[in-house]
This record gives sequence, C-alpha cells and structure tokens, in this order.
Amino acid sequence: MSFIKKFIEQEKVNRRDLLLASAYGLGGVAATGLLGTGMARAAIADPTVAWSYRNRTNPYWNEIVGGGEAFVESLGKPKDFLTHLINEGSSEKSLADVKALLSKTNGDLALAIDTNDAPNARPVVEACAAAGAYVSTLWNKTDDLHPWDFGDNYVSHMSWSDEGPAEQTARILLEAIGGKGGVVHLGGIASNNPAIERLNGLKNALKNYPDVELLDAQPADWDTQKAAQVMAGFITRYGDEIKGVHCANDTIGYGVLEALRAEGMDIPIVTYDGNPQAVELVAQERILATVFTNPHWGGGITAALAYHAATGAFKPSDEPHAHREFYGPTIFVTPQDAKEFKANYLDNVPTYDWSDHWGPSNGQIKYQ
Amino acid sequence: MADVTADPAQSKRLFPRERIIQWAPLLVLFVLLLLFPFFEWLEDFREAKDHIYLLDSRFFSIRNAARIAMSSAPALMVAVGVTFIIIMGSIDLSMEGTVSVCAVIFAFAFIAWGGTILSWAWLAIPVAMLVGAAMGFVNGIVHVKLKIPSFMASLAMGFVGTGLALLLTGGDRIRVEDPIFRSLLTERWFNFPVMCYVALAFLLIAWFIQSRTTLGRNFYAVGGGEELAHASGLNVERVRIMGFTLAGVFFAVGALLAVGRIGIAETATGNNFMFVSITAVVVGGTALWGGIGGVWNTLVGVLIVNVINNGMVVIGLPGWVQDGTLGLLVIAAVVMSTDRQSVSFVK
Repeated sequence: MSFIKKFIEQEKVNRRDLLLASAYGLGGVAATGLLGTGMARAAIADPTVAWSYRNRTNPYWNEIVGGGEAFVESLGKPKDFLTHLINEGSSEKSLADVKALLSKTNGDLALAIDTNDAPNARPVVEACAAAGAYVSTLWNKTDDLHPWDFGDNYVSHMSWSDEGPAEQTARILLEAIGGKGGVVHLGGIASNNPAIERLNGLKNALKNYPDVELLDAQPADWDTQKAAQVMAGFITRYGDEIKGVHCANDTIGYGVLEALRAEGMDIPIVTYDGNPQAVELVAQERILATVFTNPHWGGGITAALAYHAATGAFKPSDEPHAHREFYGPTIFVTPQDAKEFKANYLDNVPTYDWSDHWGPSNGQIKYQ
Repeated sequence: MADVTADPAQSKRLFPRERIIQWAPLLVLFVLLLLFPFFEWLEDFREAKDHIYLLDSRFFSIRNAARIAMSSAPALMVAVGVTFIIIMGSIDLSMEGTVSVCAVIFAFAFIAWGGTILSWAWLAIPVAMLVGAAMGFVNGIVHVKLKIPSFMASLAMGFVGTGLALLLTGGDRIRVEDPIFRSLLTERWFNFPVMCYVALAFLLIAWFIQSRTTLGRNFYAVGGGEELAHASGLNVERVRIMGFTLAGVFFAVGALLAVGRIGIAETATGNNFMFVSITAVVVGGTALWGGIGGVWNTLVGVLIVNVINNGMVVIGLPGWVQDGTLGLLVIAAVVMSTDRQSVSFVK
C-alpha cells in the first residue's frame, strides 16, 4: 500500500505549496492582469505553421492547402513543414486537434483554420489566445466574434459573400437564354451557407427577369454523380422547358453536363469556384461562366497572416478593421477571358508575394 | 387418421405468407411504377390540363426508363457484389474505398497506356478488376484470419481504400475522355445506353455463379448454417475469402461504369455507394442474416431505390422529404420481408 502513502504525502506537500503560493502570488496575479494575456509573449522566432481543414478529397480544399504549402516553401522550408490538422467534417475533432497541437508546441504556433462550423470558431480562437498562439480563420465564424477583441492573437478572418457573384453568373445565364423560359438550380448540401447564398443570388437576379421561371431547385450535395441523377430527373419532369441550368459549383456542373450529353441536349449552364477543369470547359464554351475565388491565394495568405503576426513582422492591433475581417477575391471567368485567365492563374500558378497581405482582398466584411 | 399438424384452411390459402414475402419486392416496384404517374396525373388534373394516366406520363416513358437504368447500372454492380457477402450472413462495407481505388487506378493506367481503348489502354480494365479482387482478398483475409467481424474489417478496409485513392490522386480528378470508352454513356442500343447492357451481362454472370457453381451453392450453405456447413466438411474460411474477392471484382465493375457515366475518376467516385447498395440489397428481400435472397432480388432492390430517387424528383418532392422517404422505405422493406415469429431476438 506504499503508493497510497506516497500519494497522501504528495498531496500534503501540494496543499502546502498551494497555500504558500497563493499568499505570495495574489499580488503578482493582480500585476500580470494589468499587462493583459497577449503581452505574455513577444515575437515567436520560429513558430510551427499549421492548416486545419476538412480533407483534401475536395478539389477546393486541395487548392487551399496547396496555397498553404506554397507559403511555407516561400520561407525556404520543405512542403511538409506545414502541419495538417484534418477534421473530416467534425468540429469536435477540429478543436481537440488544435488543443493538442497547442500543448505540443507550447503555444509557438501560427494556425490557419476553417473551424468547420461557425460556433466552433470561438473556442478555437480562445484556446489559441490563452496559449499565446496566433490564429487566422477562413470561412466560418459567428457574427459576434471579431479579431480586434483578442488583441494580436486573433490575427484575421477572411470569407466570401457568394450572393453577389452568383447573381452575376445568373444574369449571364438569363441573358443567354433571351430572358424567357425555364431554368433549374442544382444546389450544394442544403444547410451549407454557400449553397444558400448561391441560390439566393439566382433568386435576386430572377427579380429582373419576369419571363423566366425557376422551375425547380434541388440539392445535389456538391457531388458530380448525384448532380447527374438529379438533372436526369429534371429532364424527365420538365424536358425541353429547361432552357438553362444554374449550378452551385463546378463539380455539380460536370454531372449536369454529362446528364445533358446522355440526352443529346445542349443548353447553357453556369457554375461557381473556377476549378481548372471548369475553366477549360468555359474556354470550350460548354460552361457559360464560373467564378474563381482564388483558393490558392486564400490558403496561402491565411497561413502567412498568422505566421507574420507570430514572428512580429507586423502588429495586427495596429491595422484597421478592414485588414482584420475582409472578403476574399472573386474573379469572373467567361469564354472571352477564359484562355487568358487559364494562362495567368492555372497553367502557371502565380508566385504571390505573401507579405502583401491584403492586395487581392475585397473590402471589409459587412454584417446584415 | 386426421391431420393434426396443420390447419387445412391455412394450407389452402391462395397466397401463403412465404409467397407474399418472396414476391413483395417486385410488387413494391410495380406499385411505385404506377404510383408516380398517378401523382403526375393528379398534378395536371388539378391544373385542368389534358392528361391520360400512364400514356401522357413523363415518368412512365422509355426515355425515363433509360435514365433510371443509367443511374442504376453502377449501383447494381456494387450491390450484386455485396449480395454474395450478405447471403453468407456477413457484410461488406468496403465498397466506397474499393470503388474509388479501382476507378483511380483504372484512370491512371488507361491514360498512361494510351488513353484509348484501341491502344494497350484496354488492359486498364482487367487491371482495375484485379485491383478490386486484391482488395477484396485482403479484406477476406483480415476478416477470416485475424477473426475481426466482417463489418469492422470491411469498414476499415474501406477507409484504407479511400485514403489510398487520395494518396494516389493527391485530391485531383482524372478525366477519361476516350470517345470509345465514353460510348458506355453516349451510344444507345434500343434507347438504352451501352452501360446498361454491360451491367446486364455481369448480372447474368453473377446469376450463373450464384446458381450454377459450387461456390455459389457454398455461399448459401454458409449463410444458412455455418456450423452445419463446417461439420459437413466445407472449408468455410476459404468460401468467405473467395466471397470477398468476388465482391471486390464486382465493385471494380461498378467503378468502371461510374467512371464511364461521368468521365471522371476521383476519390469521391465511391461516395454514396454504401448507402445505395446496402439499401438495395435489403429492400430487394435478401435477408441480412444470410441464406435467403439472390442477385435477382438485388436487381429489383436497386430498381426500387432508383425509381424512388428519380420519381421523387419528377413529382417535385423537396430534398429532405426524399431522404426521409428512402429511410422509411428500408424499415418497411425489412418489416415486410421478415418473418418475425421465427426470429426470437435481434442483436
């Protein structure tokens, strides 16, 4: 039973230490409180750089992480210097992984993250700030969470508003069908924010086209095969009434094109995301327009912001709000400029200046 | 001497319970085929349009039958593969990973060896089937030799497959645009694309294996009573491993048809196949505890699932209702195809 004896002895010592420490420390705690939590650490010379995201299966996230890798390579480090935290669509795993990495690195961390859902952003940011690490978020955060409320540790947040660009591609489509007839929409996973915004964009555009009817809108879950099946159903139900198709992203568009091809139909479609395959299809005029959000830059710059704040290259709290919460870039790709766009952005991925943090960004995020 | 064992009225019934259970899936399919046109008719009737039931139906048309067949073909191959496993009383959940790996390796090999069927690239087709067989074989070995329950072993193998596919592609998508290979989708014989006939041919092969080979008989022996089969001198372990290998080959065929349908091979090619194939097998009337059912049940099951998926879009049901309806249907199908009096407890 010696281990019990040992335990009791240890506890006695612990309690004594605690009493002494609290008597001694009370004044000290008050003093450090004045300095604030963020001041506990000055610049981190060589922070670990990590990207936390869903997984690489999706071409979009693959591009994002590719940008993160390009950034660490620009530092003269190997690609695998970037630590990958893969949450597989689980917010719990996302948070647990971040906490594990924080204790492993003792807070010497520059983290770029999509927290999987909006409510998860707050615990992630709070954990990073408490450990003295630097974090930049992409896409998901709640409206009441702001980088400037955390001193320097919550460096920045970037997101995209898809409603406007989706409305513009919808206008291109509606013009192409001569402003009358029926259109269908194939959406993403119904509860995803981009899916909702992209459908809203179409609905906004339709207000100016009274002769166009939105025949149907169904979720295709961002999935090529499901999109082909849903489109086949639409063709059965509406047949030649469908004059144009509005797709929530490129991968859905590929499925729609194959469904149309199987029927020998050729009608205009527009997509979103500007993946390389979609851009090629735009150049061949099989897709009418897509929107490029430059995920490569987005992934790289999110990591760069966290890294440069961590090393002290810039001080986030000295920057205006527009540099802490901003929209990412959107570039329209249409048949006229597809070739040029492909040459500039896809065939040779441009070498970005990762210290130009806000050049391509698109203004401060507005809340409704 | 009076017959005391059976109630005479019972045996003279026109439709004994067993026969109803046997034909219930086909009955469900027919009801669905008549139900969706009815909803179409109802919609036009409300709007006072001319609509003759069935004749004017867009759902009940050859063009739409081809669309349903097209969406069924890859799922049918995967479901046929898993049917053999379920007949043995095991389960195989590795299909999503296996389909992705086969699709990706097929696409890589196809492009590397010439990119058209007319060159050596046709070899990519048998290679993909060998890869499927190898994955199924490993799956069977892990299940039998390491004595891991089949659902766990195969689920794990499925994850390994998805990971392997991702490793191979690095998240990219590979396009297979050979017009001859894509004629699986674009070429039609008697209104149906070629891929439907390919699927039909493999269905006949599966039926042959199931009913005319020793292996097929042994699947039923293992599923009907493993102890008994073992006591009769059957090498149950070998049958199981061969079953998983065979399933892997059919998953590979499913992968080839899936690539043929959309012209893209990627890690996501395998997505959704698990839900669709298991649902189809069960709805078709193959019992999950083994020994009952077969590939024709699976054909009916796959058609039911795809008729519902297509029909719900055609009559314009919202997406969330579609998922819920399919879930309810699975419960209803199992309830109908199970003789609950003979099953004392369910685990």
